[in-house]
Order: sequence, then C-alpha cells, then structure tokens
Amino acid sequence: MNTLALLQSAWPYLLKGTGYTLLFAVGAMVGGLLVGALLAVLRLSGIKALQWPAALYVSAMRGTPLLVQIFIIYYGLPAIGIQFEPITAGILALSLNTGAYVSETMRGAINGVDRGQWEAAFSQGMGRWQTLHYIVWPQALRLAVPSLSNSLISLIKDTSLVSVIAVTELMLATKEVISTTFQPFPLYVAAAAIYWCLSLIFEQVQRLLERRLGRTLARQP
Amino acid sequence: MISIKNISKWYGDFQVLTDCSTEVKKGEVVVVCGPSGSGKSTLIKCVNGLEAFQKGDIIVDGTSVGDPKTNLPKLRSRVGMVFQNFELFPHLSITQNLTLAQMQVLGRNRDEATVNGLRLLDRVGLKAHADKHPGQLSGGQQQRVAIARALAMDPIAMLFDEPTSALDPEMVNEVLDVMVELAQEGMTMMCVTHEMGFARKVANRVIFMDKGAIVEDATKEDFFGSPRSERAQVFLSKILHH
Repeated sequence: MNTLALLQSAWPYLLKGTGYTLLFAVGAMVGGLLVGALLAVLRLSGIKALQWPAALYVSAMRGTPLLVQIFIIYYGLPAIGIQFEPITAGILALSLNTGAYVSETMRGAINGVDRGQWEAAFSQGMGRWQTLHYIVWPQALRLAVPSLSNSLISLIKDTSLVSVIAVTELMLATKEVISTTFQPFPLYVAAAAIYWCLSLIFEQVQRLLERRLGRTLARQP
Repeated sequence: MISIKNISKWYGDFQVLTDCSTEVKKGEVVVVCGPSGSGKSTLIKCVNGLEAFQKGDIIVDGTSVGDPKTNLPKLRSRVGMVFQNFELFPHLSITQNLTLAQMQVLGRNRDEATVNGLRLLDRVGLKAHADKHPGQLSGGQQQRVAIARALAMDPIAMLFDEPTSALDPEMVNEVLDVMVELAQEGMTMMCVTHEMGFARKVANRVIFMDKGAIVEDATKEDFFGSPRSERAQVFLSKILHH
C-alpha cells in the first residue's frame, strides 16, 4: 500500500480521533480556566485557611506527572468508590492539572496591575470583589493572554496522554491504525501534523484575542 | 468635617507619621506641603483609610476611620480622592470611568449616572471626549476627568494627593483652575501640593510636614508672612526662589 492510499484509508479514524482530542482540549480549557480562576481567587483572598490549601494544591499538581494524575483519577479513585467514564476522567484530569498552571498565571497578572488602580476603585467606595471584577481583572486578562495561551496550547498536546485510559482520541486512533497496517512512520507524522494544525488554530485565536484586548489600551502611556 | 487626632503610623520599625493632629472644617481648603518623604501622601491616604494607622484616630463627618466596625467603603464613597498618577481605569471609556462607581456603589441607574457624569465632564471642559479612552487624553485632561469622576459621587470633601506633580508644566494650570473653582464654590478640600500659587489663592490654612510630623499648621497669611519654623522657612525659600 503506498503512503497516499494508506493515509486515505486511515483518514476517517484519525478524523474521529481528532474530534475526541478537540473535545478533551476544549473541555479542559473551560474546566482549567474555571479551576484556575477559583484557585487564584482563593490565593489572593487574604484568608490563610483558604490560601494554603490552594497553594498546596498548585504545588502538588505541578509537582507530579500528568500521567500519574490521570491514572489516579481513572484507576485509583474507583478503589474509594468514585468512578468516572473515561471521557469524564480525561477532561477532569486535564482540567485539574491545567487549572494549577492557569491559577499561577492569573495570580501573577492580577498582581501585575498597578496598586493605584485598587486605590482608585477603593477611594470611590468599591469593595474588593467589585474592584477585582470591574477594574483589575479586565486589565489582568490582557497581561495574562500570552502566558494563558501557552498553557492552553500545551493542553492540546497533553490530551495525547489520555490515550492511556482507552479513549480513542487522535493518539490512540493512530496507534490502532498502525497495529493493523504496520506503517508507523507516515501515520505518526500525520498525527503530528494534525496536532500542529490544531495548535496553529489556537495560536490564531490567541492573536485575535490579543489584538482585541490590546485595542482599547493601545495608547495608554 | 475632617478631624485628625494624634495619628502615628509605622512600617515595621520605621515610623512614617508621628503624632499628627489637625482639623479641616467644612468649606475649608487646607494645603499640605513639605519635602518628599515627609509623610504628606501617607497622611492624606489615612483620611479615607487607604492607609492604616496604628495610633490615634481620624473622624470624618462624625465617622471614625480607625474603628474596625466602620464601613470603610461607605465612608470612602463620600470622600472624593484625586491621585498623583490620575488612576483612571484604562480599559473603560471616559463615560464608563465616570459612571461605574455611581452605579455599583450608589446604585444609580445608567441614565441617571450618565447624565450626572457628563454634567461634571462638561464642567471640567471635556464633554467632547466622553467616548474616548483615558490613554487618548493628555495628562492634564486625564486629571480633570479624575476630578470629575470623584465629584460624580457627590462627595462631602475632596482629597488631592499631589494632583499636578506628574504633569508636564504646561498642563498644570488647567488642573489648578478646576481646583480653584471648586474651592471657591465652598468644597471642603485637603490638598497635598507644592503649588504655592494655588495655596496663596485659595487656601485657608497651610500645613508643613517634615519627617512624618506636622511642623507648622498656620493660616495662609502667617505661613507665607512669617513661618515660625526654620525648616518651613528653608523649604519655602527653596521652592519660591525661581
């Protein structure tokens, strides 16, 4: 079988796998942003009882391999009676992991907004949360976009690890095709090309977002 | 209106304010001056609780700033403040800058807040810029918007923290003009500034601070006529001789 015919026949499987990969990536992006925002807020709350568990969580998630986390959630938790479908387990693991990184980005960006902005909002009688919501967060978001995009683009690649819990996303789909065709080289290259394309799409989204957020602030001295 | 009673403040072991006491009566304009690092900005930020203090108390319109039970946001919503670096919200339009706190803090509806905001924007001569963003305005214009933003909350008093220090020289007067007008209309004002022309024109009293303490608290006439302390004399001779 020549390479072209091979790819042609493999295409439907890879496409279906790509669909799952996108599902994981987008699901975990949303989940990761929510988890990250929650953690960032906890760490900035000024309340010690909330700060240190959040800090501990971030440290643990960043300090252990994602693969191990996926195994714990999918194979480990059933031992204490918590069982997930593979897709749920995958999205959950990726969200919890990405959330830890995202929270650090958000925390840094929030701290990066000038203290004077807090003071100006406070001086008008606004509270902590109002200030965070209306004044600081919108400005922090702009600072955070490049680094958030970094986390979210790595996420696309990290989805390949979910193949270990038997979800036929792009990586496992590729492996399955290889196991029947014995042609690893063109198929892995095809998979790599698809991952790259997905990343390129998200890079484009990042660029659009930066331009949009940058527009109103562009002339700020 | 504002009564500062024996305020002391420390950053760790370093004492930034030492036993400061003074009073600003309703309708009075008090100018606070002194060399940099003398604690002027810190003192004025204590008045609306942006800076905490460890000893003494400040009473604003009958409310204690130091009392932990005081609702500070509520108190702050009644005292306007203008900052050295303007601190307009760069991601919001000028109109949004003027209306946000009116809506979020005072609960005014959008129309009401906009009408009030634009009226004050007109008053500082910038109505044409309502839809721009702060970054599109000059420093002087931004500071005038900041004054309008503070006034939009219908404050009982205004605090100015070096409002012209970050401005290019040609923009200083446009901001001072607005402040003079406010003073002449009877606004209670506490102004940290080195603009002695402004002080001469509208101040009732001048406070001179050095090393965290109030060294001189005198009527304008006394202060410019014959400052009692040597430090104030030296300071005045330095800033008035050119």
